[in-house]
Amino acid sequence: MTQALNLANLANSVNSSGQLAGSAVNGAVASATNATNATNLTGGTCTIGTTQLGAGDASIMKNRIINGAMVIDQRNAGASITNNSATFAWGVDRMIVYGTQTSKFTSQQNAGSVTPPVGFTNYLGITSLSAYSITSTDWFAVSQRIEGFNTADLQWGTANAKTVTLSFQVYSSLTGTFGGVLTNSAQNRSYPFTYTVSSVNTWTSISITVAGDTTGTWVGATNGTGIAVVWGLGVGSTLSGTAGSWAGANYYSATGATSVVGTSGATFYITGVQLEVGSSATGYEYVNYQTSLANCQRYFSRWDSTNNTYTPFIPITYSYAPSTIAQGTYFHPVSMRSAPTITSSAIGTFNTSFTVLTLSAIQGFTGIDKNVSSIAFTTAASTLGYTAIVTANGVTTAFINFSAEL
Amino acid sequence: MYKLLNNPFTNQTQNIIRTSDGAFIPLDPDNTDYQAYLKWVAEGNTPQSADEVTTPSA
Repeated sequence: MTQALNLANLANSVNSSGQLAGSAVNGAVASATNATNATNLTGGTCTIGTTQLGAGDASIMKNRIINGAMVIDQRNAGASITNNSATFAWGVDRMIVYGTQTSKFTSQQNAGSVTPPVGFTNYLGITSLSAYSITSTDWFAVSQRIEGFNTADLQWGTANAKTVTLSFQVYSSLTGTFGGVLTNSAQNRSYPFTYTVSSVNTWTSISITVAGDTTGTWVGATNGTGIAVVWGLGVGSTLSGTAGSWAGANYYSATGATSVVGTSGATFYITGVQLEVGSSATGYEYVNYQTSLANCQRYFSRWDSTNNTYTPFIPITYSYAPSTIAQGTYFHPVSMRSAPTITSSAIGTFNTSFTVLTLSAIQGFTGIDKNVSSIAFTTAASTLGYTAIVTANGVTTAFINFSAEL
Repeated sequence: MYKLLNNPFTNQTQNIIRTSDGAFIPLDPDNTDYQAYLKWVAEGNTPQSADEVTTPSA
């Protein structure tokens, strides 16, 4: 492949009279011959035997999964969380952890502190808290919802639907057949899959190839959910389907798959998750840290005082007399998927840099749009126009979360 | 459960507060928390009214 690219350099070897230098011609011919012997190059697709490699024609965004190496963990900073049936949680950024029964498992970046697989420093770890017998409608799972802008080129729901391959590394205290699904936004198209873990507590590489769905309704180039990838941790029979084919149903796993939450203390660790175009898994697409963080911040970002108990946030101005409101504008680190939902620590964790502009209550935090949020506090100020910087109040626990998750 | 929050300047709804965690949910149809709120309303539920705000005199 590399030598074949020398052909593209021929233009650079043309002299001022429009003639090719002999050495360039000889080198190019030799390189082309070598390339032909090694691979079959057709329209940018590299084929070895009958297997297409890197058929997405992409040198970037090969991997449609964000934070597949489980490096970014803005919400939890490595702390353990327990599943809650009332709401989704995120084990690390972009990775949803959920179960229909509360307190059946914990999720934590690098849980159990095992050595990650070669090439990785982080993983998402699930630990079962009990030996729970799932009912027919229970489901416990890890998942990632991929935005439609990042899957539209797959053309699922059309005759041109592209084949994809899901790959990841898994480590479990259990052996057996595990399951998961690929599903659409409406959750009425599902492709259950299975994979086998043969050795306990050993990192195992898994690869699953899925022919794209040629029917059903799939979100295209929008900010909705294009494809959801789900790994079952224990899914009831009603929500499990036959592995290896598309179904017009809402499934979360494959029939007969192992239940992680069914064994007290069972562990399920995963990393190196990649979803790519083509019929074979290629090497994991590593992403530099700042790019991975920015990719995650499209869906969630956080200001906090973990590292500085007086961390400054933004300036606010006492601008509204009847309700003594001081407000400011916060520009998100990156353009978010939607206007964000905002949560924060209690009012007592905030202060200002100006003693006469003390904060008495959170009036309201408003996601104005994808780029900007409004931050408003009720104050004890007495003069309109006073301005101060909102800071943490000498604590490490101040935070404001901005969430635009799918 | 949800509660409305009015803009003190316009006295119009500016946010939905999710009372379970105090989250401020924007009125953005692409926001999945707002979608969940609309579904909750469509199921026949009613949010708590907004607190009255002091409006500027003319």
